[in-house]
Amino acid sequence: MVSPSLVLIALVALYPIIYAVWLSLHQYSLIEAGLTRWAEPSSPFGNYTEALWGADSSQFWTATRITFTFTIVSVFFELVIGLAMAMAMHAAFKGQGILRTVILVPWAVLTVVTAITWQTIFEPELGFVNTMLGAVGLPSNTVWLGEEPQALIVMIIADVWKTAPFMALLILAGLQVIPGEIYEAGKVDGASAWQRFQKLTLPLLMPAILVALIFRTLDALRIFDLPWVLTKGAHGTETLSLISYQTFQQNRLVGEGSALAVLTFVIVMAVSFLYIRFIGGNLRTMAEE
Amino acid sequence: MRGNRHVAIWLGCVVLMGGSVAACGSDDGGGGGSGGGGTQGTGSTSGAKVIDPASMDSAKGEVTYCTGKDTSGAQKESVKLFNEANKSKGLSAKLLEFPESADEQRNQFVQRQEAKSGECDIFYSDVIWTAEFASQDWLYDMTPYTESRKAEFIPATFDTVNYEGKTWGVPKQSDAAFLYYRTDQVDSPPTTWQEVYDIAAQNDGIVYQGAAYEGLTCDFLEIAFAAGGKVLSDDGKTAEFDSPENLKALQFMVDGINDGAAKKSVTTYMEEQARRAFEAGRATFERNWPYAYAIGKDNKDAPEFEVMPFPDFEGGGKAGILGGHNIVISAFSKNPGGALALTDFLTSEEAITRDAADYSLAPVLESVYDDPAVQKAMPFAAELKQAIAQAKSRPVSPVYTQISQAIYKNVNAALSGQSSPEEALKTGQSEMEKALATF
Repeated sequence: MVSPSLVLIALVALYPIIYAVWLSLHQYSLIEAGLTRWAEPSSPFGNYTEALWGADSSQFWTATRITFTFTIVSVFFELVIGLAMAMAMHAAFKGQGILRTVILVPWAVLTVVTAITWQTIFEPELGFVNTMLGAVGLPSNTVWLGEEPQALIVMIIADVWKTAPFMALLILAGLQVIPGEIYEAGKVDGASAWQRFQKLTLPLLMPAILVALIFRTLDALRIFDLPWVLTKGAHGTETLSLISYQTFQQNRLVGEGSALAVLTFVIVMAVSFLYIRFIGGNLRTMAEE
Repeated sequence: MRGNRHVAIWLGCVVLMGGSVAACGSDDGGGGGSGGGGTQGTGSTSGAKVIDPASMDSAKGEVTYCTGKDTSGAQKESVKLFNEANKSKGLSAKLLEFPESADEQRNQFVQRQEAKSGECDIFYSDVIWTAEFASQDWLYDMTPYTESRKAEFIPATFDTVNYEGKTWGVPKQSDAAFLYYRTDQVDSPPTTWQEVYDIAAQNDGIVYQGAAYEGLTCDFLEIAFAAGGKVLSDDGKTAEFDSPENLKALQFMVDGINDGAAKKSVTTYMEEQARRAFEAGRATFERNWPYAYAIGKDNKDAPEFEVMPFPDFEGGGKAGILGGHNIVISAFSKNPGGALALTDFLTSEEAITRDAADYSLAPVLESVYDDPAVQKAMPFAAELKQAIAQAKSRPVSPVYTQISQAIYKNVNAALSGQSSPEEALKTGQSEMEKALATF
C-alpha cells in the first residue's frame, strides 16, 4: 500500500535525479541528431572517470576547491555577522521593528541584482571602492574582478552581504524561544554577560544555528548566480554548478554535464550527512548533559 | 577513435532500422529518422528539405515568427504590417517572443527543434547558430530562394547563412563594431591598429570587451583576422588556432595592457562597462557596437567623439566580426510556403529600411544605406557599411559555443597575465580539437 502522496513525491523528486544519473552514464550526442551511446562499452562510468581522473580533471578539482573555499569562508562570516545581527534584533529597544526590517533588506534583493550592484561598486575605473581608495591615497588600480583571489573575495563579500540577514532571521527565531527565566537564574548565580552568552545562549541556540548552517552551506555549495554575473567563472570563481551548467547547457555535452551535476549532488549530500551526524550528535550529548 | 566507434554504432542503427529505431537506445526517437547523421563524405546536410520558392505565392494559413524579446517593437510592427497586407489572401503571422538573453533564445529554439515541434515556423536566429542548426537538419535549405536575391545583400552578410556550400537562411539585420575615438585627443582616424595603440598609450588608453565571454571572442578575432589569423580550416574540420598570426595578434593585445595602451580593467569589461568608462572620459578609444553611438551623443557629459571602421593590422589587412540575425525556416514547419512568404516580407527592402530608419538596426541590403531617412537615423551609415563589408563571420561550426569558449577563456587568461600568449593558444587549440572530435 503506497500512499498517493508518496507516489507524487517519487515522481517529482526522484524521477529527475534518476534520470540525471541515467544520462550521466551515457554519452548523449545532440550533434548527431538524437543518437545515444554508452560512454565506454567496457566501463559505464566513463563520464565519471573522465571528470575525476581524466585529462581535464583539473577543471573539476579546481571547481571543488573554489566551491569549498567560497562556502567555508562565506558561511563562517555569515554565521558570525548573522549572530551579531540576531542579538541586536533581539534586544528590546525603541525602533526595534525598523531595525529588523532594515537588516532584512539585502536578503530580499534578488541575487542577480546583488551581483550587479557589487560589480558596479568594484568597477575598477569608476567604482566606489577604487574611487574611495584613491581619495585616501591608497593604490586604486586593482582590477577587483579580474585578479585572483580578489574576484573570489568580492564574490564572498556579496554573498555575506546578502545572506547574513537570512542567518540572522533563523537565529533570531531560536533566540526568541529561550525563556527569560534562565537568564534571571544565571544573573542570580553571578554569571557575567559573556558567561551567560557562552554557557546559556549558545548551547540553547545550537539547534537554530545548526539549521541555519545546513541551509546556508547547502546553498553556498550550489552557488551559481553570483559568479555567473560577476565573472562568468573567470579569475578563480568557477564553481561546481557553473561547470555543470557550461558543460551540460552551453556545450550540450549532456552525459558529461550530468556526471558533473551528479557529483555535485553527491558532495552536497555528503556534507549535509556530516553536519547532521557530527553536530547533530553533539546536540544530543549536550541535551543529555 | 571516438569518431570511428560513433560511425560504427550509427551503421548498427541503420542495420537495425528494419526492426526498430528504438534499438539505438534513443529516448527521444531521433535515432534514425532525421536524414543527417554520420554518413560522412557526402556532407551531413545532404538529406535536408529544400524550400520551393513558388510555394509562397499561394500560401495560406497562420505562421509563427519566433524571436527574442522584442524590446524595440520592430518585430511587432513588421508582423502587423504583414497581416494587413496578407489578410485578404488568408495568410497571417503571429509573433512568439523568447527571453531577451541570447543563450535563452537559443535554448528555447533548440528545445522545440529537438522535440520536432513545428511551433516556430521561422526564427530570428543569431548569425552564429546557423551552422549548428543546419547540421542538425533543423532548417530548410534556402538556396533556391536566395539565388535570385543574393546580389541585393552586402556580400559579407551571406557568409553567415552559408554552411557546406548551401544557404540556410536570409540575412535580416547585420552588425559590426566600430572604434570610437575622442576628437579632442585624436586628430585624424589612425590607419593601423599599431597607431591606435600608440596614440592610446600617449593619452588615456583604449577600452574594449575583455571579460571571459562571447564579446571577447569578437574583440580578439577582429584583431586576429586582421593579422591574417584563422580559427578553423576552411572545411571547418580542424583547428588552426595555434598559429603565428594569432600569436602576433594576442601578443599585441597583451603588450597593449602591459604598456598601458589598454586599460588593465578591460579583462572584466563587457559592452556597458566599456561604454561608461569611455563616456566618463577615462579612455581615448573604445571598441563597441553601433548602439553606443546614440547613447554617447545624448550624454552631455561625454567627450566629443567620432566612429571609424577598424584599421589595418600592420603586415595584415582590415577585418571585423559580423553580428546580427538571420531569418531561418524550421524544417518542422507545417506551412513552409507561408513561412517563406513571411521571410520574403521581413527581408524586403521596405522592411529593412523601416528597421534601419525607425529602430536603428544595421541594414543587410546595400541600397538601404543610401536612403535619406536611414542616413538621418544613422549618421554613421557610411562607416557602418564599410565596417560590415570588411567584416568576417565567426568560425562556422556545429560546436561553435565550445570553440568560442576555448577562445575567450584562454585569451582572457593571457590578457590578465595568468598564462603566456603561447600557452593560451596551445590550450585553446587542444580544447578546440577535443570539441571538434565530438561530431
